Amino acid sequence: MTSPQLEVRDLRKSYDDGRIEALRGVSLQISAGEYLAISGASGSGKSTLLHLLGGLDIATSGEVLYEGSKLGTTVNLDEYRANRVGFIFQAFYLLPTLSALENVQVPMLAILGDSSSRASRAEALLRELGMGHRLGQYPNELSAGERQRVAIARALANNPTILLADEPTGNLDSVNSARIMEILTGIQEKRGMTLIIVTHENDIANAAPRHIRIRDGRVDG
Amino acid sequence: MPSQLSFTGFACKNLWRRRLRTLLTLVGIGMAIGAFVALVGFSRSFEHEWERLYSSSGTDIAVVDKNFMNTSVDQTLQTKLRAVPVVSMAEPMVFNIMDVTPEVNALVFGWLDDSYEFSSLTFDSGERFHNGKPEIILGQMLAKSLGKKVGETVQLQGTTYTVTGVFQGGTALEAGAIIMPLDQMQVLTSQQGKVSGFHVRLKPAPAGESAEHYMKRAQAEIEAALPGLNAQAAADRAANNQFVGLAHAVAWGTSCIALLMGILGIANTMAMSVFERTREIGILRAIGWKAWRVLLLIQVEASVLGFVGGLIGVFFGWGALELLSKLPQTASVVSTSLSWEHLLEALGISILSGLIAGAYPAWRGAHLSPVEALRHD
Repeated sequence: MTSPQLEVRDLRKSYDDGRIEALRGVSLQISAGEYLAISGASGSGKSTLLHLLGGLDIATSGEVLYEGSKLGTTVNLDEYRANRVGFIFQAFYLLPTLSALENVQVPMLAILGDSSSRASRAEALLRELGMGHRLGQYPNELSAGERQRVAIARALANNPTILLADEPTGNLDSVNSARIMEILTGIQEKRGMTLIIVTHENDIANAAPRHIRIRDGRVDG
Repeated sequence: MPSQLSFTGFACKNLWRRRLRTLLTLVGIGMAIGAFVALVGFSRSFEHEWERLYSSSGTDIAVVDKNFMNTSVDQTLQTKLRAVPVVSMAEPMVFNIMDVTPEVNALVFGWLDDSYEFSSLTFDSGERFHNGKPEIILGQMLAKSLGKKVGETVQLQGTTYTVTGVFQGGTALEAGAIIMPLDQMQVLTSQQGKVSGFHVRLKPAPAGESAEHYMKRAQAEIEAALPGLNAQAAADRAANNQFVGLAHAVAWGTSCIALLMGILGIANTMAMSVFERTREIGILRAIGWKAWRVLLLIQVEASVLGFVGGLIGVFFGWGALELLSKLPQTASVVSTSLSWEHLLEALGISILSGLIAGAYPAWRGAHLSPVEALRHD
């Protein structure tokens, strides 16, 4: 049996000196190339779990292992976020002063490489996502669906092995939601990436090959 | 060719998003650097003019009492000084600063009418004064600002002097100066029989002796012949005199206050910018930017503010010096020439100011928790 790409062991996260417990002992294994949906009600702890999986936050107790190595100790969180994971957010979080093409280059500024190859790669990613005609547009000149496609291209910029999406269709209409999900699953299949989506939409969660529910900070099936 | 994003380009775009605030900050740091360029430039120009005052007349050594600016030395020591073997010529001189009009101050020198120091002057009109007569010659810049010509009179401290000549000086100090007979100056300053010091021209250095060694030997021989007096190399006398020291101190003191204001301006701008961009910093951290890279980004932004503000400041400072060089009150001590060293120093200080000002906002931005920053409204 191959070891999991990500493993979560008795993960707990609390805030406000322990008065608020967002996660209460979550354990989980995720294989490389897996497509996993995490659903739950608002405040259930699903986004907290995603942040911990992505190295954005540090657990109160328990551990997250990437390929058997503990995040935050053996695996440097900055390196992990820069090279292993790509984030997609509900609110897109594009930088308003940069064009679509420039936004996609921002993660690449965190690693070595010349500016010309960064720009070429960013352009190729945007073209792959059907945004070749909108390279020079700024976020406020793009539709919500287009912004999310730019955000997906940005998440792929450093060629990560894991894609983490936090309510990626939360700000989109049904047509754009379907399109974005199609793009994400297409990328997952084509690149063999691990895709972890946090969503409160049942149809999206149920469409994933593996689906876990979080309730009151615990895995509930 | 797709549009390329560089790290510096990204920093500049961040600054440009708040154009008015950035421009106001640039004007603030520009004014501070402008004050530095103008004030320190002014004091250095003043020092440089003093150096030229000695070098243009061929003075090698100034013999004075201790190292005061305006010392009082017995004039009769001239004979002993001229007898020192290394001395070619030794001229007594008196100098002071006087109000010529309520608006115009001038350096006033008392010389003998056969002093070798006349060699650095070129007469536009008229001729030298004569010992024992109430006569003066005027630097052309002073003559112009006073509107005086040869044959006209000038009142100094209640005494009337006839202008016998208008000269081009070797320096801006001379161009704005009055020179009169030594004896007249001694009467005017109530220093009969006393002089401010002696200006000495040395004989040529013997073959095989370095200029530096010869200067030291000459100083030692003069001080041995005139115990209690101080023989200073002309360049040292120019650089270390109290007027120059005071000018440097005032210039640096005032500049430091202005620079502090500029630094606070940049610090305020960067602190506001970091606060407003808290979520964006969280995004950068989420997509893999390390803390030090966020710190570097903010410091580059602060440095760009400092550098561009410095360029603006150099322009302001040069303009201020141009203005000062044309005002009658300051024209005699200001030259508009700015050295490359001074300009580079100004730009270096402006970039350093940016780095100092950006240090805390950068540290704060770099240490934001990514997830907390993303939650920031």
